[in-house]
Amino acid sequence: MKRIACYAALTAVSLFPCLPALAQDYSGHTLVVGTWGGDIERLLREHVAGPLEAKTGAKVEFLLGGSGDRMSKMVAERNNPTMDVTFQNIYEAPAALKEGLVVAPDAALVPTAADVWAGMNDGCYAMSLVGLGIAYSKALFPEAPEWADLWKAEFKGKMAYAPYPSSEGDGMLAVAARIAGVDEHDPDAAFAKLAELGAPVLSYSSLDEVFTLMDAGEIAAAPMISGYVLSNLGNYEGIGFVFPKDPGPVLVRDMVCQVANSPEPELAKMFIDLALSVETQTAYAKELNFGPTNSKVELTEEEAARVINTPEEVKSLLQLDWSYIIEQRSDWTDRWNKQILGQ
Amino acid sequence: MKQTPDIKPTATALLVAPAAILMFGVFVLPFVFLVVLSFWSQVPGSVGIDPTFTLANYARIIGDGYYLGGLWTTLWLSGLVTLICLVLALPLARWIVLHAKRSKGLLIGLCILPLVCGALLPTLGLVNLLSPLGFINGALKSMGLIKTSLPLLGNIAGVSIGLVQAFLPLMILPLISTIERIPHDYEKAAMSLGATRLVVWRRVLLPLMLPGIVAGSLLVFCASLTAFVTPQILGQGKVVTFASLAYQQAAMVLDWPFASALGMVMLLFLALAGLLGALVSRGLGRRT
Repeated sequence: MKRIACYAALTAVSLFPCLPALAQDYSGHTLVVGTWGGDIERLLREHVAGPLEAKTGAKVEFLLGGSGDRMSKMVAERNNPTMDVTFQNIYEAPAALKEGLVVAPDAALVPTAADVWAGMNDGCYAMSLVGLGIAYSKALFPEAPEWADLWKAEFKGKMAYAPYPSSEGDGMLAVAARIAGVDEHDPDAAFAKLAELGAPVLSYSSLDEVFTLMDAGEIAAAPMISGYVLSNLGNYEGIGFVFPKDPGPVLVRDMVCQVANSPEPELAKMFIDLALSVETQTAYAKELNFGPTNSKVELTEEEAARVINTPEEVKSLLQLDWSYIIEQRSDWTDRWNKQILGQ
Repeated sequence: MKQTPDIKPTATALLVAPAAILMFGVFVLPFVFLVVLSFWSQVPGSVGIDPTFTLANYARIIGDGYYLGGLWTTLWLSGLVTLICLVLALPLARWIVLHAKRSKGLLIGLCILPLVCGALLPTLGLVNLLSPLGFINGALKSMGLIKTSLPLLGNIAGVSIGLVQAFLPLMILPLISTIERIPHDYEKAAMSLGATRLVVWRRVLLPLMLPGIVAGSLLVFCASLTAFVTPQILGQGKVVTFASLAYQQAAMVLDWPFASALGMVMLLFLALAGLLGALVSRGLGRRT
């Protein structure tokens, strides 16, 4: 009898490690993830959704589109969300947390978050690090330009911008403010300085659209976020990309958020945990030139040169008061329409 | 003799109910919400909504020259597109009715094609045609006709080309159906009495085509007034239309109350256009 009890105890102990695995059987469950399309969706399918589906039996469904659409969706579905995980821009994440739309980042809920560089999980979990630099026409700029070079008379009216509001537009306003000797808290000076660059050649809806014209010298330069540009630059010999030094490039972070009160919170946490893992972050760095936020990622010297991947590099970047900027969204959009586009 | 079989009121209600419930749920209720939302406001510096009644959104539209300018641009752009569509569609529709025999079905199918393609694909195709490095500028340059690219994108010209391409079928189809009903003898009779071709068009054909012209113009005008994809892409952020302003406020600024007010103003002008069309049609009906 004693032996049977002993066997029973041993069996129970030996089965114990399996219990969490049994608890993670989510067959029939669907996790809804809102993100950008293209390479980002592909990498997330390969490195996050695929392993999560294999591990849990759940199905991962992607909703593709812009982060503004996802922000709208979260607000509209505030009381009954259908999306579990969403990828947002750096300026949206703190606002989403302030509005109670997302769950505050917590390493107790998502263990890999403990490996993220300190101070970066602002509003949501930091997914990737990129910087706002200058994409420029090599025909018009024989040497890589500094921000101030864009204000030379010969380049007036030869810029291209992303549609506003955007982190590119806000970043460019902050740079213009610093060129004028102030910062983003002085929008009058920022808009007046940026207006000196003239109305843009275009507000581009795709990178190909702007790169084709820049390659031909019809557009002199455009403030752009490093990851996307560097991934596409190989196709255009006449275009360069530079991180200026004075002021430094504007730090932009993509964030991954757990939607508050979503239908699948456990799966959402597991998805974010995998998204922040060394494997996914390494793939982001190698394939998209997006800097990893996971401090344990190791890159070759060549790979590291193309991404922002250390706290020291982050410190050299221009960090903006995004909480302040998001509060000015409505006013600044009007001003952008009138003072920058409507010249 | 009864023209229609007897249907009991209960059966009528049951037959109408599915569509009525659907329309109530997906159109009437959201529309009522849109109206109510336009009288609320966004909490400053937040995406939250303050449900206190206010006319601030409408005051902002009326009091800000930028939004009035956007409204004016949208209205006259829609009028211009309607006029161009009319000028292009009149001879084409008449030619199809009078001269296209076996190919008539094929030609009407080709005319409808832009409608069934959706707005995005043809518009992106036009970007390739109209851009400074696109087909049209490239061809003109290679023929030595121009040295620098013509600006065909990011301005009214580009947006008008896109809208005409998209909505020409809405003018052609009503015109075809009207012209088909005009007896050919009228034209011959007028000419036998000494009317020139111009007089025949002005005094005979155009008045008889008026119902089709009114219907087509109304359709093209309303479609242009509310168009979003084409002005957004071909306007490259530099042609401000009411639809693009509403999108910017709704999807990017997340100021839904203000976007709703913009939508309501657009609906007001749609209603005015519809009313004008109905008055003209009634006047034509009385005259005939």
